Amino acid sequence: MKIRNYWNLRDWGAGIWERANRPKRIAIALTSIFLVGLLPFAGASFLATPIAAYDAVLVYPVGIFVLMALGLNIVVGKSGMLDLGYVAFFAIGAYTMALMGTHTGLNTWEIMPFGIGFAMLAGVLLGLPTLRLRGDYLAIVTLGFGEIVRLVVLNSSWSKGPNGIANVPMPPDIGPLKFKLDDQKVFFWVVVTMILLTIWMIRRLSVRRPGRAWEAIRQDEDAAELMGVPTLKYKIWSFTLGAAVGGAAGVLYASKNLFIAPEMFTLNVSILILSCVVFGGIGNIWGVVVGATILGYLPDRIRFISDARLLVFGTVLVVVMNFRPDGLLPRKKREKAIVKKEVNA
Amino acid sequence: MNKKIKQSLAIVTAAALAFGLGSVSTASAATKTFSIAYQGPLSGGEASTGIDEQNAVKYAAKLFMAANKGYTIKVVSVDDQGDPAVASTVAPGIGANKNILGVVGPAYSGATIASLPYYKAGGLALISPSATRVSLTDPTSPDFGGPVFHRVVGKDDLQGPALAKYATAGVSNAKVFVFDDQSAYAVPLRGFVEAGLKKVAGATLVGGDSVPNTTTDFSPTVAKIKTSGATVVIYTGYYSQAAVFIKQLRDSGSTAVFAGGDGVFNQEFPKLAGAAAEGSKVTGVGGLAGISAKLEADFKKKMGVSSGVYSVEAFDAANIFLSGIKAGKTTRAAMLKYVNAYSGKSISGNTIKFNKNGDISYGLFAGFTSKNGVLVNTGIVK
Amino acid sequence: MFSVLIDQFWSLTIAGIALGFIYVLISLGYTMVYGVLRMINFANSEIFMWGTFGTVVTNRDIFHYTQTSEPAHGFKLALVLITSLLMSMLVAGLTAVFVEFVAYRRLRMKGTNRLATLISAIGISIALQEVMRLLTSSRPVGSPRVLEKIILTEVWGANIRLDTVITIIAAAIIFFILERFIKLSRMGKAIRAVSQNEDAAKLMGVNLNRVITTTFLVGGLATGAAGFFYITVFEYTKFNIGFTMGMAAFTAAVLGGIGNIRGAFFGGLTLGLLEVYASAILGTQWKAVTVFIVLVLVLLFKPNGLFGEAVQTTRA
Repeated sequence: MKIRNYWNLRDWGAGIWERANRPKRIAIALTSIFLVGLLPFAGASFLATPIAAYDAVLVYPVGIFVLMALGLNIVVGKSGMLDLGYVAFFAIGAYTMALMGTHTGLNTWEIMPFGIGFAMLAGVLLGLPTLRLRGDYLAIVTLGFGEIVRLVVLNSSWSKGPNGIANVPMPPDIGPLKFKLDDQKVFFWVVVTMILLTIWMIRRLSVRRPGRAWEAIRQDEDAAELMGVPTLKYKIWSFTLGAAVGGAAGVLYASKNLFIAPEMFTLNVSILILSCVVFGGIGNIWGVVVGATILGYLPDRIRFISDARLLVFGTVLVVVMNFRPDGLLPRKKREKAIVKKEVNA
Repeated sequence: MNKKIKQSLAIVTAAALAFGLGSVSTASAATKTFSIAYQGPLSGGEASTGIDEQNAVKYAAKLFMAANKGYTIKVVSVDDQGDPAVASTVAPGIGANKNILGVVGPAYSGATIASLPYYKAGGLALISPSATRVSLTDPTSPDFGGPVFHRVVGKDDLQGPALAKYATAGVSNAKVFVFDDQSAYAVPLRGFVEAGLKKVAGATLVGGDSVPNTTTDFSPTVAKIKTSGATVVIYTGYYSQAAVFIKQLRDSGSTAVFAGGDGVFNQEFPKLAGAAAEGSKVTGVGGLAGISAKLEADFKKKMGVSSGVYSVEAFDAANIFLSGIKAGKTTRAAMLKYVNAYSGKSISGNTIKFNKNGDISYGLFAGFTSKNGVLVNTGIVK
Repeated sequence: MFSVLIDQFWSLTIAGIALGFIYVLISLGYTMVYGVLRMINFANSEIFMWGTFGTVVTNRDIFHYTQTSEPAHGFKLALVLITSLLMSMLVAGLTAVFVEFVAYRRLRMKGTNRLATLISAIGISIALQEVMRLLTSSRPVGSPRVLEKIILTEVWGANIRLDTVITIIAAAIIFFILERFIKLSRMGKAIRAVSQNEDAAKLMGVNLNRVITTTFLVGGLATGAAGFFYITVFEYTKFNIGFTMGMAAFTAAVLGGIGNIRGAFFGGLTLGLLEVYASAILGTQWKAVTVFIVLVLVLLFKPNGLFGEAVQTTRA
């Protein structure tokens, strides 16, 4: 195996996968899932977080960040649209859960389709007029959308304004698995299941028509349009799917947190999730998972340096981006966009 | 496996081990070592509030250890950044850490609500020095914190009317303009101020605004105040914005009385606002310095900094837990029972006794007026 | 609803213009860098924040003004103001160059993707903000009043104050100087050449690194000047003020057509006025919502901003 100027874990991993036959692949997948499922039991090891409860950190930030980063990766990584307002869909999911959960008596699983549906609806409504915009213009419009959602929730009485909504119901037990506050293993397993579903969905789509269309759009939108790809349609698709994942994450978050308030849905969340995507390796599912895990986990792990922890976080972002600009686990070379210098936009 | 990969793996493992070593510190359960926690914002934009409160808790622990040889009190810092999202990641850890007998805090109401489920599950007693939201001790509200939540501070429905009364004192037929900073603290307080105004003879509410707490340009609000002809302006947000605002109000030529709640109550307010703050009225709770100069001097000697806002409350709260520890209440259940039945003197001279919802019986807010760059206590607002 | 706007129209307008000029100067920081690199300088908001501290430190620690000292007059006033303006510009300019060096240069040399650069810039802006937070112990910092805010005259019921007048005139002058610099100077021409066609500019012997560093420096100087005016008007700063101002200025830059210097001028003024009018009519809590809705509408109908991105003659 040839390795050029830097070590490439991604190709190494992909190599193992490609050389394996079907039973081997299934074995690898099941073992990995099993090991991930055991993670909450590793609380006494060096993984332990100093102040925050380790199992809770695995659910939020780590699990939810991974889920959201995967959703955002559909938009940013797969089809190359810069979305800085991803938190809006997260907020819509969370508020759907909180409002319906406290008013209608439906449980989390019954509300989940509504949360996803409303987020997708918002995705379409925002996408239709704005997805014609390119690059940084799209970035600021989505950013504005994220802020608008937060401000509307903050300024309205139905959402209880800045006070937020308390007593959001927990999910009902699944058979013998009981959701508990002081032991959040079951929450973690639910997040892992949702992450696996999302990964499965993305992998299916990537090799089919939508995936190829997104790839074409990301590499050169004009060329794609000329070749007969209905770019707007597929852009809205990608946007809406991303929104759906964000909405699902929001529903679960509200149900796990039991309390939500507008200040949880600031632009910082969007930026953090985007950082997860780019930090780990934009466009590559495993890179995104690794990136979100590290960025979700690190701030709580380094709480012992308490005051300078965000400074360290910022510095890590700069250093990693400078030395591994494609992220920790970059996407395959052939998938990299053709670097085209835009001359006059 | 490639050699370079091996090398990198070795580096990663080494780094991971180093992280592990960095955090070896926990529970060496010696017989006389006890832990209480302080939860509040210790980093982020609100950090100064939390650091001040935590200093008062540490000061109480220091005094206790000096007076009771053989006890070691550990104050565990729980940094929730005043943010409910962060609170709900740190609270499970504290809720599950059975070494911690009680929590002074959380400092902010939003963070309190987010943390409560975990503390209720862990049966951990809380005494907040500064969470003033009414719903926290209202059994009919979803935010209700009983039986674990207590506070040694008066709540908003005491402060709102007190602020309304104090602001309009000496202004006949006051025309009042009330605005908030859109925060979870300021919006409810504004509601109680407006309700309190109805009971003040001659006062009318002439307008209001809601200004995001990152705003520094208050010109639209000033324009509204001028149009409304207000003679009294009440702001329910925090001191830093208040200082920016009052300068702009005075520079516009307005002479309306300015008043603020305990968010504005901070000796930094007149310092930041300079001459513009002169005559401003603020309701708040007196710090250690308000009780005795000697106490403040001792605090400064032992802690190296001056005491801040809510230092009395944080000090009182810590002392309740410390007296519990001295009385041998060394399990959470015993401690919670002890706090619920507690009756003792606050350093301010009042009697602390919690009612069944976790509120204290006193909690009268003092009025302060800015004079020569200092907020001067003018006594309890009656 | 409209009574405030009608009653206080001229006061609001003057305040809006003063605020608008501060936005103009900050959005120059965004627009210049965007023009050359086609990238959002995410750290510009923190460059601005550092700039405000330049003025505060000058007033407080070099000239030893305190909250209680008398405002300066005459020659001393001019001296203090000019020193603190230069100090703010210097601090922000150096910060901008530092940002370019640490967060942009290596990535740019590699010619890699824009998102990595964006995240790198986000990282450096978190770091810059955190350093200042640690330096100031998270506390707000007030600046002593150096410039007395005398009411010069009253026009249509609005007070014309000295600080607003100075801000408007001086900011306009600074803007004009920068615009001329980019239009006429050798370096300015090089900047424009790079912005139009990087490869052709390189072939013509333009030193790319120097041009880009200069662009950051000039953008930083403008942003620093904005920091000075901000302190002059509001006399207050904190480690986290950058975000709100930066966001507004970035919106202004996009509104006018990012990469377009004159666009930044009109975008900044439009945004300043829009903010005060919207606050007066709808309540300040809807200010940001209004601004973003207007922005979206403008972009939908004029996708390259009000003045377009492709004005070659004026583009940075």
